[in-house]
Amino acid sequence: MNRLICLTDWTILRRERVVILLMAITLCLSCLALYNGHNWANVQQNLIEDAHTQQKQSIIISDNEIAERQQNKSPINWWDDRFDLRGQAFYLMVNYAAKPPLPSAAIAVGQSDILPYYFHMLVSPKQDFIHQYETVHPLLLLLGKFDLAFLIIYLVPLLIIGVSFNALASEKQSGQLRLLMIQGISPRRLLINQLCLRISLIIGPLLIITNAGLVWLSPQISLLILISLSLLIIAYTLFWLMLCATIISAGKTGAYNASMLVILWLVLIVVTPALLNTVINVTTPAPSRVQYLDQLRIKTDEINNAKNETLAAFFEDHPELAKKPEDKGTDTSKQISDNITVLKKSYALAKIAKINALEQAMKSNDDEFNEVLVLQQQSTSWLKFLSPATLMQQALINLSGNNTARHQNFIDQVLVHHEKLRDFYQNRIASAHQQEKFTPCEGCNAKITMTDFNAIPYFEYQAPTHHKPWLTIVLFFILAIILFMKANYRLRSMNNAASFVGA
Amino acid sequence: MLMLTAKKEWLLSLREGRLRWLVLMVLILLTTAFVASFNYHQTLTAQKAQVNEAERKRWINQGDKNPHSAAHYGVYVIKPNPALSVLDPGLSAYQGEIVRLEGHKQHESLFRRIEDAIPIQRFGELTPGFIIQMLLPLLIILCGFHLVAGERESGTLKQLLANGVSPTKLVWAKILSLSVFASLLLLPLFVYVIFVADANSLGRSLTFILGYTIYTLIWALLTVVVSIYSANSRRALLTLLIFWVGSCLIIPKLVIAQAAYQSPMLSAQAFQSRLESEVYTPERLKAIEQFKQDTLAKHQVSSTADLPFSWSGAQLQFGEEYGDKAREYLYAQRDKNFSSQGEFYQIGSLLSPFIALQTLSMASASSDHVHHQLFISVVEKHRRLIQKTLNNDLKDNGKSVSGYVANKTLWDQIPVFSYNYPPLITIIAAYKWALISFLLWGLTLITVTLVATKRLTKEGQL
Repeated sequence: MNRLICLTDWTILRRERVVILLMAITLCLSCLALYNGHNWANVQQNLIEDAHTQQKQSIIISDNEIAERQQNKSPINWWDDRFDLRGQAFYLMVNYAAKPPLPSAAIAVGQSDILPYYFHMLVSPKQDFIHQYETVHPLLLLLGKFDLAFLIIYLVPLLIIGVSFNALASEKQSGQLRLLMIQGISPRRLLINQLCLRISLIIGPLLIITNAGLVWLSPQISLLILISLSLLIIAYTLFWLMLCATIISAGKTGAYNASMLVILWLVLIVVTPALLNTVINVTTPAPSRVQYLDQLRIKTDEINNAKNETLAAFFEDHPELAKKPEDKGTDTSKQISDNITVLKKSYALAKIAKINALEQAMKSNDDEFNEVLVLQQQSTSWLKFLSPATLMQQALINLSGNNTARHQNFIDQVLVHHEKLRDFYQNRIASAHQQEKFTPCEGCNAKITMTDFNAIPYFEYQAPTHHKPWLTIVLFFILAIILFMKANYRLRSMNNAASFVGA
Repeated sequence: MLMLTAKKEWLLSLREGRLRWLVLMVLILLTTAFVASFNYHQTLTAQKAQVNEAERKRWINQGDKNPHSAAHYGVYVIKPNPALSVLDPGLSAYQGEIVRLEGHKQHESLFRRIEDAIPIQRFGELTPGFIIQMLLPLLIILCGFHLVAGERESGTLKQLLANGVSPTKLVWAKILSLSVFASLLLLPLFVYVIFVADANSLGRSLTFILGYTIYTLIWALLTVVVSIYSANSRRALLTLLIFWVGSCLIIPKLVIAQAAYQSPMLSAQAFQSRLESEVYTPERLKAIEQFKQDTLAKHQVSSTADLPFSWSGAQLQFGEEYGDKAREYLYAQRDKNFSSQGEFYQIGSLLSPFIALQTLSMASASSDHVHHQLFISVVEKHRRLIQKTLNNDLKDNGKSVSGYVANKTLWDQIPVFSYNYPPLITIIAAYKWALISFLLWGLTLITVTLVATKRLTKEGQL
């Protein structure tokens, strides 16, 4: 009997050319979404590879040119000379910290188009580089990319509504339902068969394209990610299918079903997430960047005005930099004190000391932003349950690796690398000063003080573990079951001949 | 006829529980969005004013120093918040609002608000503009899809036409009643627009009001036309929903993606590399040397020390102007790409009235990229003025005093940066496609409505 119902519905759908149209739309949209996601991941990957190539080439060029530089006796500004430690550290170093996209990145662009995924590193305050961003038209960011996440979250429910709103209703309106019921076909059986057939026209092509496409475009993608994604799509579509069944089971007209389902879609997918966003922003607003700038200026001025104190604090934190090299003779307190006096005259060390001081002074302001971000994420972690869209968005973004947590982890790694670079240069600059390599002309001509370019710290990104969306999948299944029970109850009532005639 | 039809539709709408809830929901959302947006705007405006003042004080009180040190000390300028951005903040969160002005460098704008946001922000900011642009069409569709198709289904259409009701009057009465009903939701916004309007922003206010009114009319026309052509209300609803999804969700994304593909931008890193490679070139050193020789020859001296002014000031200004020329070319290329992308997106409004309204709404609120570029160009002029003033001072006074330092008198000569958005009429050409689209959408839909009315007349005669 089920087969017969499906075949009849199939014939009707084919006659209305809905089958081909639906499958074609789903196929085209899936391919487009997958292509866009993959293309964006490729753009990122290529930029990162370019950056790494530049970094490697810079080392090779420096190694090759060192002999020529040693021959060159004409004066060179130190800020123009890659063989001068100071020039390297503050202006010329080619060193990148990058977060490569994961093989699953094509699933959701997430925040990756907004947040920086690579940094050009120098010895500078972190405030100077951490806000770097990619040059794109801001409309691209406002509208977002047409990726799989957009297709699944926004359009798949609409496609499901489009194919299912008329199920059962058309039979009821045309009077066929009574005839079918006389033949022993219950409204429940009819509706379930119709919905299963219709949704398979959407979910089938979507799953095939998504899985095949991801395997083809990113062969390194793990099977577990594909299984998680497939289960997530099935659970989400099942939720929407059951929501449709619940509305349809009220026994109203097709137009009523359609408008009711569209209103629900609007509320759940468009309005609730935007409202949640407003609630989060109002209850835990991000600190003002305008005021942050004010603080940055105030603290920079304070540090510049208190140059001696800044340097003293720096040497207190780094006593090793004030030590006289052992080959220069016996360590005495006077020698160390003299040495500190010399080092205090160093422009480069003073600059590094100011960078340190500024970062320390701004720490509380930077922490404020991080704390609010954590609070907002905490709010989202429970508010997301109010909308299937937010639930699904977070699950898909986590799967793709383009989520805030992974970005935060990347930033933490970048800051550690930033410190390593600073330590690397400050030790060498201090040592060069102690050995009086920058004298007699401290502030002008370059000196060859940098020769071992391979020793410059290299950033290696450590990817954190993936979050698997099991909870979301289970939750969608539970919601689908609850909705199914509601629909089932209504359909049973409909099956009751008396209530049907009454209707 | 109009009043009668409006009354009938109003009563029918009231009877529809779903619509009551939907209208209520839109009103609550509008109020929430307005209050949240207004509060944010007020706070941000106050903060900007306070930090602007503090920044000016810092500049004035920076102490005695060499003018070139002051050039590197720099100034930060902040983009002002126009009043209409309360209703449509547009791209404000996606563009930096602060720019550092420093010698030798043209910095990018800093601190995009979106960077401090969590992913849920990507669902859209709940602003009055977002609600009207996205949700009002849906409300019009849900209120109007059955206006003619429903009458046809229930058989009342034939009765009406048989009773001698003019199809033209009937159709226009339905369109107008639908438009007026939808426009009621716009009224609170228009009240705010009129309230904040002044002589300078009159064009913007007018464009805002007209844009949203025409948008409402376009959707009302479209809804009734589709309702006329559809055999039943189910089909009318489906057609309109497909159009809404295409127009408001899919087409804008695809068009801007295509625009970015057609006019690709250099990555930030590549752009920076080009800037450095094209500014700091051997040609630059040669040009400086040539300038030195020319200056020496002009003053008939053999050494820069014999010049009647400080060579370092003159050299700095020459280097600045040389760099400006190279940067100007690269930035102009980048701006051209931005403009091409923006224009292509606007052309997309021929397919989607949403794009047309979004463009005009952001233009009225000065929250689009065109206005951002205008702001940046004025900021750059100010940066050059600062550098010129400082370098000329060094040139004029730096020779006589060894280790010359300037003081508050010089810092005071740098004017306070203040920026007012230009009247919209002066840059209206940048929005020609959005305006043309609105016109075409309106005219096409009016024509189709007239044709559809004839069809109804024939239907009544059958």
